[in-house]
Amino acid sequence: MRNRFDSPYDAVLHLLDRQVLDSDGLMVCKVDDLELVRVGSSWWISALLSGTAALLPRLGGRAGERAMRFWKRMAPEQTDRDVPYRVEITEVADLTSAVNLSRPRQQALVRERRADSRQLRNLLECRVRTEAGEDLGHVLDVRIDHDGHRLVGLVVGRGRPDSLLGYDRHPQQGPAALRLIVRMLHRHSGYATWDQISELDWDRGQLTLTGRLQPLQAAS
Amino acid sequence: MGRFLNVALGVLTAVGGFVDIGDLVTNAQVGARFGMSLAWATVLGVIGICLFAEMSGRIAAVSGRATFDLVRERLGPTMGLLNLLGSLGVSLLTYVAEIGGVALSVQLICGVSYLLLFPIFGVFVWLVLWRAKFSLIENVFGILGLALMVFVVSAFQLGPDWSHLGHEAITFAKPVQENWSTWCYYAVALFGAAMTPFEVFFFSSGGVEDGWSDKDLPVMRSNVALGFPLGGMLSLSIAACAATVLMPLGVSVDSLDQVGIPVAAALGRVGLAIALLGFVAATFGAACETGLSVGYAVGQYFGWQWGKYVRAAVAARFHIVIALSTLVALGVLATTIDPVTVTEMSVVFSAVALPLTYFPILVVANDPDYMAEHVNGRLMNVLSSLFLVLVVVAAVAAIPLMIWTHLGA
Repeated sequence: MRNRFDSPYDAVLHLLDRQVLDSDGLMVCKVDDLELVRVGSSWWISALLSGTAALLPRLGGRAGERAMRFWKRMAPEQTDRDVPYRVEITEVADLTSAVNLSRPRQQALVRERRADSRQLRNLLECRVRTEAGEDLGHVLDVRIDHDGHRLVGLVVGRGRPDSLLGYDRHPQQGPAALRLIVRMLHRHSGYATWDQISELDWDRGQLTLTGRLQPLQAAS
Repeated sequence: MGRFLNVALGVLTAVGGFVDIGDLVTNAQVGARFGMSLAWATVLGVIGICLFAEMSGRIAAVSGRATFDLVRERLGPTMGLLNLLGSLGVSLLTYVAEIGGVALSVQLICGVSYLLLFPIFGVFVWLVLWRAKFSLIENVFGILGLALMVFVVSAFQLGPDWSHLGHEAITFAKPVQENWSTWCYYAVALFGAAMTPFEVFFFSSGGVEDGWSDKDLPVMRSNVALGFPLGGMLSLSIAACAATVLMPLGVSVDSLDQVGIPVAAALGRVGLAIALLGFVAATFGAACETGLSVGYAVGQYFGWQWGKYVRAAVAARFHIVIALSTLVALGVLATTIDPVTVTEMSVVFSAVALPLTYFPILVVANDPDYMAEHVNGRLMNVLSSLFLVLVVVAAVAAIPLMIWTHLGA
């Protein structure tokens, strides 16, 4: 399989929830979330996040919060209970049907709280509006430039991040009946470049876009 | 020659591995009550399992990812988790039924109550899963399970009126004393018995265990295309034997010994001995497969190291899951619940859980990112889309039918 990191890719479709393998082909973890940091005016993927502390909040909504509270209550004496494990993105050798690390799995995962970092989950929870106040739905996916893993665009639409099932990116992906149904459900989904974001309020989960959504196209 | 042997071994394994406690009980029950009028459901189930196993086997060979990896990757953590809980529930139920089935089969041989036997065989299954090599689990019990071929021989020995049986099968000739609702319920049960999700977890994860690559696709396909239909023929012959011997006597099958009666009638003591050997091998093999499948599903959802291709110490959490689920299964059996009842429930819930894994596999089998030139062809897509509809209909109908007919009473 070709290396996805050779060209632009989509964070949810190609990276999130994939199996992580070490340099010996042994299994390490899943990509439960991604760590985002801001350098200059852009956001970049800095690390893969994993472990219960990254997975539970992604169950979403009240169920996710409750599961996370329960998880912390099991060991209130641990200070880092809600901190996910990290793997630096620079330790990833390539991305095929799995995320292949360039190191063995022993001590690969490190728990570390990073100030000023955000998680991909925060972005996927954002409500997206136009400047006129029209509701466009949620962030369904994030397009990443492979060179340095910079965030360059958003797939915006109604429904859940996984409901596109990849049918937007390959125009000929079968079976035809499924493709038609998914495309009809996502007829309002579209693509916006990162520059179109006029305001991104992480804490309130609000994202405002200028201009119009463009038709969806495959990352590469 | 090596290649030919490889294919032959795979086919034999698939034949023996196809039949488990669910197929034994359901086919005999249906044969005794409905004759061959439900043969179509088994045939559909066999076509369905061939499509499902071919797709997930192809994905495993091309991308190295097994079924539950893809469920999580394509459906996300929330839907994936619900999916995991559903599939796990069904696999555990089947695991209980298989271990109970081993104990019941041994009870038929030695006369000791299965309630004394199931803890011993449960621990034995766990020991095999912990210590034995994957190829041993995969091949030995599958091949010993071929002893069930004695049902095919019996069917011929009994010399039934073939044209009558064939007529029943083709005209859906439901016996007049039965309701259409029970008839439909057993159709769903047969479909679920033939298309159990764990068979596919096992098949695709086994592909990863054996290190398949795209060079192994022809071997995988021949295993599927020959092995499962031959296994289906075995199922049909169990039904035909029951239809010939038990139906005229008005016997309804509610224990495992009744499944063997037609063989005893046709071939006497030796035939029965071979059939009992087949029961033990088929249920023991299936118990190993379901036990592994539970570990596979959990490991693949959370990304833990799983599999028998590494030492047990390297896949520690995988083996803990297997040990715990064995403990749970033994606990359920210790309530003295009838394993045959558990089996009847498990085949119906198999039908309910089927779309959960069938759907994501169908989507990924079409994804060029994963499959490159090995994506589904047009014919495959037409067939597998039709089966998606069928699988969903069976899943939706299963529970209402179960309640309506009081478990097919």
